Amino acid sequence: MLITRRRVLAGASASVTALTSGIARPAIANTESIRIGYLPALTGASSSTGIGINRGVELAIREINASGGVNGRQIELITRDTQSDPTKAVNGATELTRGQQVHAVFGPLNSGESLAVVPLLARMNVPQLHPCWVDTLTDPKKYPMCFRNAPTNQQIGGAANRYVVEVLKRKKVAVISDTTGYGTASVNAYVPMLKAKGAEVVYQGNVDANNPDVKPEMLRMQAAGAEAIMPWSVNAGFLSRLINVRGQMNWDVPMVGQTTLGSGQTRALLEKPEYWTKVYPNNFRSCCFDTTGKLPDRTIAFVERLRAANIDMSDTLLWWIALGYDGPRMIAEAVKNAGSKPEQIVGYWNKLTNFPGVYGDISFTPEQHDGYPDNEIVMCEANSLKSGAFNLAPGYSV
Amino acid sequence: MVESIVSYGVGIGCIYALIGITYNVMFSASRVFSFTTGILGMLGGVLGSLFIARLGMPVVVGFALTLAAGALFGVLTEIVAVRPVLKSLEQHLYVLSTLALALMIQQFTAIEWSTEPQPFPRLFAIARGGFDQEFWMPMLACVVVVVGLELLYRYTLVGRAFLAISEDNYAARALGLPERALRTASYALAGMIGVLAGFAGGEMLLAFFANAPMLTFYGFVPVALGGMGNNRGAVVAGLLLGLFQQAANFLVGGIFASVAVFTMFIIVLLARPEGLAGMAAERRV
Repeated sequence: MLITRRRVLAGASASVTALTSGIARPAIANTESIRIGYLPALTGASSSTGIGINRGVELAIREINASGGVNGRQIELITRDTQSDPTKAVNGATELTRGQQVHAVFGPLNSGESLAVVPLLARMNVPQLHPCWVDTLTDPKKYPMCFRNAPTNQQIGGAANRYVVEVLKRKKVAVISDTTGYGTASVNAYVPMLKAKGAEVVYQGNVDANNPDVKPEMLRMQAAGAEAIMPWSVNAGFLSRLINVRGQMNWDVPMVGQTTLGSGQTRALLEKPEYWTKVYPNNFRSCCFDTTGKLPDRTIAFVERLRAANIDMSDTLLWWIALGYDGPRMIAEAVKNAGSKPEQIVGYWNKLTNFPGVYGDISFTPEQHDGYPDNEIVMCEANSLKSGAFNLAPGYSV
Repeated sequence: MVESIVSYGVGIGCIYALIGITYNVMFSASRVFSFTTGILGMLGGVLGSLFIARLGMPVVVGFALTLAAGALFGVLTEIVAVRPVLKSLEQHLYVLSTLALALMIQQFTAIEWSTEPQPFPRLFAIARGGFDQEFWMPMLACVVVVVGLELLYRYTLVGRAFLAISEDNYAARALGLPERALRTASYALAGMIGVLAGFAGGEMLLAFFANAPMLTFYGFVPVALGGMGNNRGAVVAGLLLGLFQQAANFLVGGIFASVAVFTMFIIVLLARPEGLAGMAAERRV
């Protein structure tokens, strides 16, 4: 074979191409931070919840970043205070997604704001995780990127109804709420559920929460033969008036319902501390002392971390801090195992099974984005509040 | 049931009447319906709770400071929200200016005080009973205010000067009365009456920022029913409103109680647009 200049050049170029294509490129790690958009209500009417949840969120971010981040990437929490205002929540969500280009959003933390923000984030194809209870706030068809790491209103009402009918064995029930959207929707949803469980709803009513006298309503309930009262309201003034009137009437009827029944604000408005007995608000098994006075092991370890970080639990609720702690960790785990692109995060969550949250084990499927388990929702004793946690209500097994 | 209707009805009726009188005192001096009256009622509860329960002051000191704060807020209302719009009364700009000031104070209270109702302290260490201090305190406050205003208007020079500017502003000025100073004093007086309503009714209504719109609204009903500027009419109408509202609570209950109250309100206004105690205004044609 003749060695021509043309063949030498062709061979050389082929060799260079073969060599260079085969050389492995140096691995360049993705050091871009993971940006989590966060929409808490840190001021305004819903801020007590937001402040409690925020303590858990900040601890989780600190812990993840201190342990080296997610695959070497630090988490950057970009917070926009919604000021308990849905309009500001929408503005914050827009800025987080368009301006900051976050990888995922945690929040908003209350249903009123989420009702405005969820459809917006769905249009922007941003993965969203929120802890809001209104049933319609997840829908895998309408909002395929939106997930909930908390119970729905149906689950909350279902747990209270189960406690009244199956544990307390009360069949004649009075259901009362304030006239807010939440209150009326709760009564409308829970009354048929109670009836389906075989209970007789002897009284059903919506009352103006600012009415200073609820004695007429309590007398009606008593006259109707109510064996349990189920109040659905987040208004501490309204709930404390119901409890106070029950006490003044010396009526030994249990009150079973909304978590605010057990809040510090409600306690502060009671005429006598003993009026708080036989009041059983919703709570969560993970954040309740069992009959031996012990929290679950996972929660004990969490509380120790909270104490080590000097996080105050006395003026808030443990389950708020716990669910706040779980939120960023769920996002971090998805990024760690699948990547930070929207479809990777959502794809991971769609197959999530028993994420070991402090608040509860969370599982999702492509058809079910409500991840909180029914059996974790319980009732507790309102007057047993200690460091943000309560005793389980009587009747539950450990 | 009757005992509860009377005690609660008269108690809350007296609070409404006092708020109605607050409207009237401001209206007499300026021809302005100030929507800051409910704010004054709310502040009476909040400041009373702040001074006595939170800061631990003696009741007398807390009460005096609450009254002083009410007077100050009354003067502030006159300077900020009323005086600048007096020249264009016919455009009703005071609706916007007083409403804006009211909203600002309400939001400020929500942020700095609490968005949750807070307890109001027991003013007298008496065991709770059927006719409790939460009921008779507003009644006592109402009696003191009504009698005090009667004495002021009838027997003092300042009171007569108030009446003069409320009857004919221009004539009063022509006679050399210091109209601006009297108007400011009227607003200070109204401020004290407004906070007194909230302070006396604090145990019933609690120290809650959201009491403001409720009092603004229900406090206006005695004014409309009793006749604008008519304090006696406001007292009678306030008591009737409280009793009717409480009776409706017992008889129909729930949201229907409010419906019953406003149905009656509309019926009365249709029958007597000038109010129960008001007189039809004469107009030269």
